[in-house]
Amino acid sequence: MAANFKDKAAIVGIANTDFSKNSGRSETQLAAECVAAALRDAGLKPSDVDGMTTFTMDTNDEIEVARAVGIGDLSFYSRVPHGGGAGTGLIHQAVMAIASGAAEVVVCYRALNGRSGHRFSSGVSGAITTADALHWGWYTPYGLLTPASWVAMYTQRYMHITGATKDSLFEVAWTTRNHAATNPAAFFYGKTFDRAEYDAQKKIVDPLSLYDCCQESDGGSCVILTTPERARDLKQPGVLVKGVGQAAAANMESMTSFYRPEIAAIPSMDLAAQQAYAQSGLTPDDIDAAIIYDAFSSIVHWQLESWGFCKKGEAHDFIMDGSLRLDGRLPFNTHGGQLSEAYIHGVNGIVEATKLVRGTSVNQPKKTVNHALVTSGVGVPTGGAILGKM
Amino acid sequence: MTPEEKKVFMDKIHAFVGMEMAPPTKGPDDVNKAMIRHWCEVMGDANPVYTDEAFAKASSKGSIIAPPAMLQAWSLEGYPMHSPSKDEALLDNQRKLHKVFDDHGYTGVLGTNCTQEYFRDLKPGDQVIAHTVIDSISEEKATQRGIGHFIETVTRFTDQNGEKVGEMRFRVLKFIPNESNKVESAKDEGKPEVPTRIASPRGHDNAWWWQQVDKGVVPIQRCKNCQTLRHPPRSMCGECQSIEWDFIESKLEGEVFSFVELHYPKFPGYQYPLICAVISLGEGTRIVSNIVGCKPEDVKIGMKVKGKVEQVDEKTMLPQFYPA
Amino acid sequence: MSNTKTVAYKAVQVGDKLPPLEIPITSSLIVGGAIASRDFTPVHHDRAAAQAGGLPDVFMNILTSNGLMGRYVTDWAGPDATVKKIDIKLGAPNLPGFVMTITGEVKAKDDATGIVDVAVVGENNVWGMHMMGTVRVALPKEA
Repeated sequence: MAANFKDKAAIVGIANTDFSKNSGRSETQLAAECVAAALRDAGLKPSDVDGMTTFTMDTNDEIEVARAVGIGDLSFYSRVPHGGGAGTGLIHQAVMAIASGAAEVVVCYRALNGRSGHRFSSGVSGAITTADALHWGWYTPYGLLTPASWVAMYTQRYMHITGATKDSLFEVAWTTRNHAATNPAAFFYGKTFDRAEYDAQKKIVDPLSLYDCCQESDGGSCVILTTPERARDLKQPGVLVKGVGQAAAANMESMTSFYRPEIAAIPSMDLAAQQAYAQSGLTPDDIDAAIIYDAFSSIVHWQLESWGFCKKGEAHDFIMDGSLRLDGRLPFNTHGGQLSEAYIHGVNGIVEATKLVRGTSVNQPKKTVNHALVTSGVGVPTGGAILGKM
Repeated sequence: MTPEEKKVFMDKIHAFVGMEMAPPTKGPDDVNKAMIRHWCEVMGDANPVYTDEAFAKASSKGSIIAPPAMLQAWSLEGYPMHSPSKDEALLDNQRKLHKVFDDHGYTGVLGTNCTQEYFRDLKPGDQVIAHTVIDSISEEKATQRGIGHFIETVTRFTDQNGEKVGEMRFRVLKFIPNESNKVESAKDEGKPEVPTRIASPRGHDNAWWWQQVDKGVVPIQRCKNCQTLRHPPRSMCGECQSIEWDFIESKLEGEVFSFVELHYPKFPGYQYPLICAVISLGEGTRIVSNIVGCKPEDVKIGMKVKGKVEQVDEKTMLPQFYPA
Repeated sequence: MSNTKTVAYKAVQVGDKLPPLEIPITSSLIVGGAIASRDFTPVHHDRAAAQAGGLPDVFMNILTSNGLMGRYVTDWAGPDATVKKIDIKLGAPNLPGFVMTITGEVKAKDDATGIVDVAVVGENNVWGMHMMGTVRVALPKEA
């Protein structure tokens, strides 16, 4: 049975802080800044907020952020685990809270000094103290220590099974960079690259090289949801949540699900897609544009297959047809993605998907965007949401 | 620093850009054979054009030359460098600039780049005069060491005729040391500890597995009730929910299911080139391990491998797989 | 051992690898190199000063790294080669007890000038990359 989520909540306010490699301010300040800016975007007062949700990985307590921004009483607060897999999980939490009446205005935020503070690329260290410490121990002694190394393991297998080549990895990275080049907020604003430059970058973990890997960024992103009824009275055109799936498929490990019969695919994203399509009654053909989580270029391939834009194993051809470009079948990561705009754990992607439906992206495709997809990080338990016009 | 303090600081440091570091400095000694020989002894540099007069004369050089990398050595102050003047008025501009940084918490200093160009060979009797200018100071950068600024100096080296004989661009990072990155200091044993691989933490559900590996055995957990094998170990059998288990010893015969070559970042304690692989074992479970004993480019998916437990560093026993 | 033979430009191909060189790092080498280069900065000869700076022992100065890089390439190129440029990026420090392995590869050739660029990396066995960069040498057309 599909969850009863369709049209129960709308995104009414969005904001990003500036993105940088050194914000020069605390993560809590970044969180407060993006929340306050999203409230202004929506035309809401801090006192209108009664629910807040963020990542378990976020260092900013909701009550700290609430106090900083001047938000009053809260009747709903929650956290979503699994790093970048949490992104659209925030939407999932907000929709459930709003549909159930637990809260009316829910703020979803993520703020981090991902470059000047703790960097994910520095790997898992010997001083791991988290609950999944024992899990990393199966990999650290061998040198499999970084997100790139875990993702490369799937990538190698995927390329072997499907015949996909670096050509389509380049096309993904190059397309995001072209979008960033015309997005003044993006780190790589004004900076394109060509194939020779891509090929000349240092290898990170073969088959991934530098431009296949996302940035590390400082910044904060926020989206605010409320009921469709209330959305009608607010400043911006509301953007409805048509469907949203959360998924941890069977036999899951965080980033290292190497024990499934086949690892050249992302079953958790299949599951998220099934839920979101079932709730919304939509099909892949109804999706006009997409924000696909792109911590690494190759993870885009698997997600395109999960969401049914092409058959399993055929993402390479789909990408090489130019489908992801602005004038293609599925304009994607129009903000530049995490590869080229900024790495705010995908919440900047929810901001961008909302803009696509509003029609206000800095790289708005020529065609009308009635429905936009946005996905969460993969390798971890994940999710995805379909947004649509009100 | 408040934004106002920051602006004052930025103005202060940027005032140094374009300044001469100090008046042109003539080396205390002309280029000479003794210092050349001392240098070559330490560097282990046996190039005969530096020290063998007869050979040098007959060579394309025509006479003894100085090793080009000595360029800067000819103009360094030498022994007085060990205790720079405490009198601020006597500090050269570079030290004054560093002091501004120090006073604002940027106490760390690290040479990051040095580019030297040599326009002609230096020969005994040549004089070397260094003219150094503070060329640029970068925007604030977040580095692994900490937040800081790169200072680039350019030194022009001229000879007794005013002719340019070489040039050096030198870049240092002045930074606020990152607490977490501070190297363990002041250990009293002479040698720093050689890093080892990052070991798995050992807890209730996995310590037994690693203890077997320490003894040279790679175990595979087996449900005592339904005999299903499982790896990595878990406290309960997902097939029958039994919590009773024992293990079998793996024969460590299998094939490569997927693999990666780790390039960057390189971690202390690991030897590169380094290959990690998911290996499908003959027993039916998979294990992540290293592939060794062959070139990285020879590793392929489907390749047959055979493993054994080896001591890979001072503290670590691990299964390692070789081409079968 | 002195190398009296010079490599001819035309005998060099892009992709040629130089023989690796292992250098045991000792206090004597570090202090000797600092003094031979007239660099009396205390961290290169005074262990207490190095420890005050956060490292466990004296560490190699940049001029010595430069000298070793130059030597490594002229050991291969021979006495008639002329070093034009040493461009070096510095990484982890070299401390007593470490062993640094230097490797090199010919990266570019310029037929007009007979100039060859050699990419050189020095990695120590404890902390990894100590130095990497390019040494540019002019070689005679024929030996």
